[in-house]
Amino acid sequence: MRETPTASVQCFFEDVEVNVSLETPGVTVTRAHVAIFTGLTGEMPASDPDSVPSLLPLSLSSGLGWRVPRPPLAVLAFMGFEWRFLAPVRVGDTIHSRSRTLTKRSMREGGVVIEERKVINQRDETVQEGKLTLLVARRPGA
Amino acid sequence: MLSYGLVGGHPGVFFEDLAVGQEFTSPGRTVTETDIVIFAGLSGDYNVLHTDAEHMKSSLFGERIAHGLLGLSIEHGLASRGEPAAAHGALSGLKWKFKGPIKIGDTIHVRSRIASKKDGPDPRCGLVTVERELVNQLGEVVQEGETEHAVERRR
Repeated sequence: MRETPTASVQCFFEDVEVNVSLETPGVTVTRAHVAIFTGLTGEMPASDPDSVPSLLPLSLSSGLGWRVPRPPLAVLAFMGFEWRFLAPVRVGDTIHSRSRTLTKRSMREGGVVIEERKVINQRDETVQEGKLTLLVARRPGA
Repeated sequence: MLSYGLVGGHPGVFFEDLAVGQEFTSPGRTVTETDIVIFAGLSGDYNVLHTDAEHMKSSLFGERIAHGLLGLSIEHGLASRGEPAAAHGALSGLKWKFKGPIKIGDTIHVRSRIASKKDGPDPRCGLVTVERELVNQLGEVVQEGETEHAVERRR
């Protein structure tokens, strides 16, 4: 079995720093995002074409986390999360996310990391926020 | 009388019409490779868990798995096809656990139960909490949690 070529450029459990704030670049939410997302989920499109489905900004935030000057987190599994939808997102809004690790706990398989994440719009309003629990791999051979 | 599977375009169901203990079952849906590819492209989450078939052969799962949030998003779409529209009003919050993988070819459906009703910050709406389970073709619960919805009150 080949080695995954990404293995050496990942952020492993040992590399995770608690309480360091990480800010992502932004993404402008378009009608194309909404159309692809509602087509994928099968939910009925809203009568207002500029309304953004609640779960779309959350989903976009998971990809934004890959666009920071840090190697991607070596996530083995997304275990669960709690989330609040504080304000609507509209087509044309530009969102980014700000996150920080609240706690990390070593486990046999890897480590559990609890991340706080906020999704913020162009007016610096927090539109969604919550806490995510991730199982993160240890550095191979560590 | 509640209407099922009709979201929008029918007389609304209000906060008062929903009762604690009401249960709903959604239709099923087979998750495809295409679903995963589209979600990776849309979200930008290209984690090898979802995109590298060769790497995943040697993983715990043995193959690519769906993004957890793809499962939740499909769950949300399925639920909207199996419930009165109001039981599926604007999401105000959720608590969610990913318990097992969703693999390509798995067929999933949603079991939901109205767990509680309470007043919210907006007097025009009440808050309805729905317990939900996302179940695969083997009867295994792969995701579960509760969603909270702001549902308009009858005027």
